[in-house]
Amino acid sequence: MGQLNVAVIIKLEPDFSEGNVSYNPDGTLNRAETKNTLGPHSGIAAHAAFFAKVMYDAKVSIGTMGPPIADLALQQAQQISDAEELHLYSDRLFAGADTLGTAEVLKTGIHKMKEKMDIVFSGHRASDGETGQTGPQTAWKLGFTFLGNVVSYTVDMETRTIRAKRLISLQGTPDVLEEIEAPLPVFISIDPTYKSSFDKVSQRLAFQKYKKEAEKRADNYKDYFTMFNADEIGVAKSLVGLPGSPTIVYKVERVPKSTATRKAEVIDGSDPEAIRKAVGKMKEALDAMVIK
Amino acid sequence: MEKYDVAIIGGGSAGLAALKQLSNLGKQAILLEAGSEIGAKNLSGGILYSKKPQKGQVSNVEKIYENFLDDAPFERKITKYILHSTSKDKVYSMDLTAAHEYQSNFGYSVLLNKLNSWFAKQAIESAEKLGGGIIPGVHVKSITWNESGNAIIQTDELDEFEVKAVIAADGVNSEIADMVGARPKFTPTQLYQGVKVIVKLPEEIIEKRFGISSDEGAAHLFAGDVTLNHIGGGFLYTNSDTLSVGAVYHYHSQLENPTEPSALIDALLKNPMISEFIKDDVPIKSKIDKSLPQEEQLRIRFAVAKQIKNWNEIRSSYLSSSGRQRLIDSGKYKIDEDIKTRLDGIENQLTKLGVTFGSDYVEAEYGAKLVPDGKRCRMQKPFFKNILFVGDAAGRGIFVGPRIEGLNVGIDDGVRAANAVAKAIDKNDFSANSLGEYYSKETENSPYTTDMKQIDKNYLKIFLDATKDVPKDLIGARYGPILKMMSNEKLRGIAVKFANILGYEKLLPMIESEDTYVKIPIQLAERLGEIVSQSYSPSIPSIADRIGNLSYNDDNSSHIKVLNPNSEFMKKMVTLCPAKCYSEEGGNVIIQHEGCVDCGTCSQETEWRHPRGEKGIHYKYG
Repeated sequence: MGQLNVAVIIKLEPDFSEGNVSYNPDGTLNRAETKNTLGPHSGIAAHAAFFAKVMYDAKVSIGTMGPPIADLALQQAQQISDAEELHLYSDRLFAGADTLGTAEVLKTGIHKMKEKMDIVFSGHRASDGETGQTGPQTAWKLGFTFLGNVVSYTVDMETRTIRAKRLISLQGTPDVLEEIEAPLPVFISIDPTYKSSFDKVSQRLAFQKYKKEAEKRADNYKDYFTMFNADEIGVAKSLVGLPGSPTIVYKVERVPKSTATRKAEVIDGSDPEAIRKAVGKMKEALDAMVIK
Repeated sequence: MEKYDVAIIGGGSAGLAALKQLSNLGKQAILLEAGSEIGAKNLSGGILYSKKPQKGQVSNVEKIYENFLDDAPFERKITKYILHSTSKDKVYSMDLTAAHEYQSNFGYSVLLNKLNSWFAKQAIESAEKLGGGIIPGVHVKSITWNESGNAIIQTDELDEFEVKAVIAADGVNSEIADMVGARPKFTPTQLYQGVKVIVKLPEEIIEKRFGISSDEGAAHLFAGDVTLNHIGGGFLYTNSDTLSVGAVYHYHSQLENPTEPSALIDALLKNPMISEFIKDDVPIKSKIDKSLPQEEQLRIRFAVAKQIKNWNEIRSSYLSSSGRQRLIDSGKYKIDEDIKTRLDGIENQLTKLGVTFGSDYVEAEYGAKLVPDGKRCRMQKPFFKNILFVGDAAGRGIFVGPRIEGLNVGIDDGVRAANAVAKAIDKNDFSANSLGEYYSKETENSPYTTDMKQIDKNYLKIFLDATKDVPKDLIGARYGPILKMMSNEKLRGIAVKFANILGYEKLLPMIESEDTYVKIPIQLAERLGEIVSQSYSPSIPSIADRIGNLSYNDDNSSHIKVLNPNSEFMKKMVTLCPAKCYSEEGGNVIIQHEGCVDCGTCSQETEWRHPRGEKGIHYKYG
């Protein structure tokens, strides 16, 4: 049957929770003052990798491109996935990369990992970039079958194939779950609604065991951690950073506020009279909606 | 179908003790917990005792968890135990430390989320070596038996599986007991309703205010007008850097004269003595000037939130010797003075942002639970087929005067059940006649069971000694002769014997009455009490704010179903539900389950289930 090897690519992102985020006077994000954390979608991808750990005793590796402080994100993702190999690709040359330049670094990094990968996971998108392109472009560069919006999967270890359910949402039509089978290796971009499910007592026990192992490993994450610069992973310098990034940011426009078409009224929640009025209005509106 | 020897249902202190003990005995066991993690659903008043009974043996916490005394996250060793009688601003105090120390090695104040998580960590370590462990987020929905007598367990989350024995540690509202018909639901006369708030207060302020050192703690109990005429009382326990303030009232007395549970807490918080106990400096935000540009308003809002968070963190560390050491060890500060400078700096910045500082108190968590009164409701035979009931699930709590013990009883039961199951595994006999009867005999022999059955004359003497300064005319005609008899060394033995022949059943209405909990304490306070002055008025959160501050994982359908929406009982739930889940519309009582704290107050006349795995309330302190 052989071993199952999975990798996760993740991203360090600003922490948007209250008390951790700072804004500039013009309303834009103050990156220097804002704390960073593992991106929420990266976290979901790490959970999906942990599913493979619990179900198939997979070996998990994690890679990220970012500044040296991105080791924090690797540690957080290790705590979720029980990874035993953490890669940080960090070099001034990588700065200013768009998604394609990033994908080149990640692809090269994944090739540098100890094992030959069967599945690579990425999050659906970043919370500070939102384009959702890094995953598919990395898949393309790796030459792996790309499966997007995956909500669940199982692996047949005998035949080395994966069965995955994909959530397809199109505006105006009901959501569709598409089940597909593909030979390994594959690249999976995980759907934001993904949630691992373990139905047997033995699986839950394995889950708890590996979760504890993951916490222990994450406490000593430096033992699993390697940082690589451009030379060390051996990327083609023309394909990374600014030179490798065809995207040109010509101008950033602030989204203009649209004028409200509804007649909104702010009421004071502590004033019972105001609440009574509001409820009265709601009742009126509801009465008007009744189809006779 | 997967098969295991034994499943423990419920990850409270009792269930965890069973798991640890089974693992200590080399037996594989799995424990199912409905909360998303151990501790999420657990709430207690807050004292864990270690007992040394004169007759018989109990398994104490430090025996089951060898490193308990060195490593466990208990709060404070309670070294002062004082009962206060209140009437308005007057308080009369009696030192009952001797009663607290009676037959006990120690009593620690505890917060169950933290403590049970620690118990779980120790238990898992041992259980994993044997292939067992803890599975959180699983709610058992049915138990049936196959032809070989093994139990088939069905849950909302997992495939069904088979076990030879079950230890039911699913608490006072045991669904297991209900679904298999092991006992009827407990009735209001058998229960107490407890509500509690956690109040934040820096460590060194607690020590100074309560006159204790860093390894000491205080417990203060309250009776009199703070009870709002209910049978029961209030308590305040010091934790490391929080206080547990709670009210425990006889549920039956609550049904007769319904008072909102949160109002019972509020009555305590408003009492001048308690107000002064919980007082702290707090930052008060001012309203942001709406005429400023939106971006500026946003900047101020975030800056204030960030600095208040910093201020709280640094201040609570600064006012704690271990906290200061931690900050210095982190390398951020060289000496204590540097931390103070930083704290002053933040205060200055906050002042510039329009924040002022004043006296108030800080409430961190609200919670409620039912407490079984063992003298009225303990299961005589705490088993059904191959299911053994422990702790609250078996109705085994001790209520004698101010003495309330539950955690230690549950832990001891858990060990007894584990021993019984281990024996059954060795003999391969899980029948009710063997396993059940053996366990039943073991619990019957427990010194805790004796406490639930009999009055202990030595314990009684401590009370009589404490009340010797109380004018006898206050006690009244009803109790005078009894007290006189009890006070006499020779007659006391005979009197207690006679009382024990009468039994708790006949004595209880006399001991647990409005006279003893309300009227006599009020008169005591009025006649002998000292005036306590109040320096501020605490801003008490509304019940909506209290519920709003709790963490929930809402389920879309309700785990509780109202059976008769216009019964008298259900109408009382509108007042008595601690989370205000019930309201009355057009004569019918309806439930909104989202704020439910799983206390079980309404279980008598509802189809009552715990929420599915991971759903419902998640206590942070407990």
